[in-house]
Amino acid sequence: MKARILVVDDDEALAEMIGIVLRNDGFEPVFCADGGQALEVFRSSKPDLVLLDLMLPGTDGIEVCRQIRAESDVPIVMLTAKSDTSDVVRGLESGADDYVPKPFKPAELVARVRARLRPGDQKAPETLRIADITIDVAGHAVNRGSERISLTPLEFDLLVALARKPWQVFTRELLLEQVWGYRHAADTRLVNVHVQRLRSKIERDPEAPEVVLTVRGVGYKAGS
Amino acid sequence: MSAIKQVPEPQGQNPSDAPEGSGTGAKAPDSVAPGRPATDLEGTGSDVTGAAETDGVVTAADSSRKPHSHPAPEHTDALAASLARLPSQARIWRRRALIVSLRVARLVRSGLDRVFPGIRFLLYSLQRRWRRSLQFRTVLTTLLLSMSSFAIVGAYLSNQIANNLFQERLTQAESETRYNVKQVQDTFDGAQVTDQSSVITLVYDTLNAVEGKGSVIQRRYVFEAMPEQTKPRNRWVESRASDQLTVSVIPKELRAAVQDSGKEQFWASTEFPVGTEDRPGIAVGNKVTFNGTVYELYLIYDLNTAQQTLNEIQNVLWAGGAALILMIGAIAWYVTRNVVSPVSHAAVVSEKLAAGQLQERMVVKGEDEVARLGASFNHMAASLQEQITQLATLSQMQQRFVSDVSHELRTPLTTVRMAAEVLYDARHDFDPINKRSAELLYNQVERFQSLLADLLEISRFDAGVAMLDAEATDIVQLIAHVMEGVAPVAEEYGSGMTLNAPEGSIVVEMDARRIDRILRNLVLNALEHGEGKPVNISVASNGTAVAVTVRDHGIGMSPAEAARVFDRFWRADPARARTTGGSGLGLSIATEDTKLHNGWLQAWGSKGAGSNFRLTLPLKQGDTITKSPLQLEPAEVGLTSSTDHTVLVLGHSVPAAADPGEPHEAAQVIEAVQAGETSAREAAGTRERP
Repeated sequence: MKARILVVDDDEALAEMIGIVLRNDGFEPVFCADGGQALEVFRSSKPDLVLLDLMLPGTDGIEVCRQIRAESDVPIVMLTAKSDTSDVVRGLESGADDYVPKPFKPAELVARVRARLRPGDQKAPETLRIADITIDVAGHAVNRGSERISLTPLEFDLLVALARKPWQVFTRELLLEQVWGYRHAADTRLVNVHVQRLRSKIERDPEAPEVVLTVRGVGYKAGS
Repeated sequence: MSAIKQVPEPQGQNPSDAPEGSGTGAKAPDSVAPGRPATDLEGTGSDVTGAAETDGVVTAADSSRKPHSHPAPEHTDALAASLARLPSQARIWRRRALIVSLRVARLVRSGLDRVFPGIRFLLYSLQRRWRRSLQFRTVLTTLLLSMSSFAIVGAYLSNQIANNLFQERLTQAESETRYNVKQVQDTFDGAQVTDQSSVITLVYDTLNAVEGKGSVIQRRYVFEAMPEQTKPRNRWVESRASDQLTVSVIPKELRAAVQDSGKEQFWASTEFPVGTEDRPGIAVGNKVTFNGTVYELYLIYDLNTAQQTLNEIQNVLWAGGAALILMIGAIAWYVTRNVVSPVSHAAVVSEKLAAGQLQERMVVKGEDEVARLGASFNHMAASLQEQITQLATLSQMQQRFVSDVSHELRTPLTTVRMAAEVLYDARHDFDPINKRSAELLYNQVERFQSLLADLLEISRFDAGVAMLDAEATDIVQLIAHVMEGVAPVAEEYGSGMTLNAPEGSIVVEMDARRIDRILRNLVLNALEHGEGKPVNISVASNGTAVAVTVRDHGIGMSPAEAARVFDRFWRADPARARTTGGSGLGLSIATEDTKLHNGWLQAWGSKGAGSNFRLTLPLKQGDTITKSPLQLEPAEVGLTSSTDHTVLVLGHSVPAAADPGEPHEAAQVIEAVQAGETSAREAAGTRERP
């Protein structure tokens, strides 16, 4: 089955080019050129992944991202012409799983799309624990006691990666490789932002984390 | 009231007695006048002290004698005990006294310690105010000057008044004396008395009449037979004076003048005792003759009332002066405040302006100079604000422009790039011409994109929007990551890379993305210019800084090139640029990234011996680097012998001035590098990113 990808971009030439590349690699692209209609198109087309331009006429990309994230866990990859830290962080904080800075290579785009579409590996029934958190890997569920915590797939993968090897300190690069699936990803800000988002959901006090700990100068590890 | 005294030999006593008497006149009454009693008194005095001494000896000896005087056996033990106790008790008391005196000394010292800082602080704050407050200085100066002028004027006035009062009294005294002396002489001349008692009565009555009528004594007299004259048989009166006076109150000079003269009258100022106080007075002297004996008659006039008047006037002057000085001080304070307060207001406002509160203005009242100052100040502030706002707007516009250009250019470039890549991937299906075109398009789009990225990065630095996103990161790991990333390139050039990191991990507060970019750039440059020889990377830290050096052994660079290596778009060898590509901005961006970290980026190079780039960063952001942990000039070059230098110089064409036989160039290089280091300016050789 072809994966359906929603491309939200106001630049028709670029959207068409992205469409050509995606079709070439066996995806089925759906287009939307206006931020205001993005949510409608999303609902009607039910895509497996969203490619979203940060700067859009009508509703801006960040707002669209928020709206989609509010009703779905579908992976969102931002396309951004600005590589300033603040823009990138803002995009990631609004719920995007990844971002691709313009100008990008077709192969890069496809790699990222594939990484996000990675089918959940055949997960054996497995229960992991970090601190007071219980993770049901096969059931894709995270609980604190009887309380259910809702995570996006990416956040879930991040948590599972840390929880599987609680004795290991993960560098940001290692996490990028294991969770995002990049061999030579440049931007470790992805990790920072997602760790923060994850903490805001699973920590009792995100200021004093107990589940995901920072190892100064190295990276992150799971709490005991 | 008056004491009669007839001393057997007055002549011998008086002169020697006079100076002492005038000094102690008030305390020592008339009975002291002769010499004998005084010596007697001394004698008794020494007797008394002598007695006291013996008394003291007796009491002291008494205690030691006591045991011997009571030899009763039942007491012996107690006595011996008390005897034994005595020295220890004495020691205890001595020690107690010592303790008390030490305590007092400490109390005094601590008191002084507490008082001295207070005084010093007071002095210091006064000094500070003197330096810092124009108003304080002006008021204080005014007060001091007016005080001294008042002192001068007051002294002059008081002197004048005193003189006038004295002169008036003197004139009066002289005329009164003339009259009274005449009266006395007339009475004496007309006297027909011969027996002792009537002579005495006559003289005393006459003299008493001189004192004046009524209960208040108008003038006092001193009546004294002139010394050194044959004593007639009927001379019963030797000397006589009003109440407690003696002849000692008369100044010696006056007496000498009266004695030497004929019948003239002389005067002198003197002091005489009345009751327990000394009063100022005028003594007027003359001679009178009675029964063939020449007497000196001095009349003494009291100046007390004049003195009192003078005192009152002086009091008034003091009070008036003090009040005036206070008023002058207040006036000076008020006037200077009026002048100074606008000035200090202006100072406050300009400080606020300098701190960036551009809307701050002075309050303008009236049309005087101060108001003009305020108005022109406000005018200046307004134009300053306008300029700054304009500049700020311009800068903001530039930032917006950069951001817009970035966005506007990147979107179409992405399309072009993707299209080029699609064509490039399909090039095998094209005929040779189209295939080559696709390749060219693809390569140049790549190059165009990296150039655009570098340009935008540089303009972000120029616009001042580049932000440091510092975080504690292990720089050794980062270097390893960079080396891993460039490994394929190293393989392509055939160069080996070594990492010398004696410390396993160095955590540095830095923006990892930027440091990664700098190091990647340096390593790629080294590989590109290394001519296949190994590239050595070293990292080390000291207490405050970490340094990374990237050393290649390739073509190297000359000092002139090293000086320009970080300039934008500068290429050492323009011919190479076309083949190596790169934007020519790589090292400029590295420089800016380093500046953002408050670090150093420096280069050393020698033609043919390769080059060495050193990045030094503070371990903690905000710290300043004082010394880099690694040497910029590689050790093996610094230690090379002169023959090696010759080889170096011969190997390259050098300016004609440099004799190929001499090791000039290496020295030149070192100099250039040292200059670069001291000026903290980053110098480097030409390098482009591949």
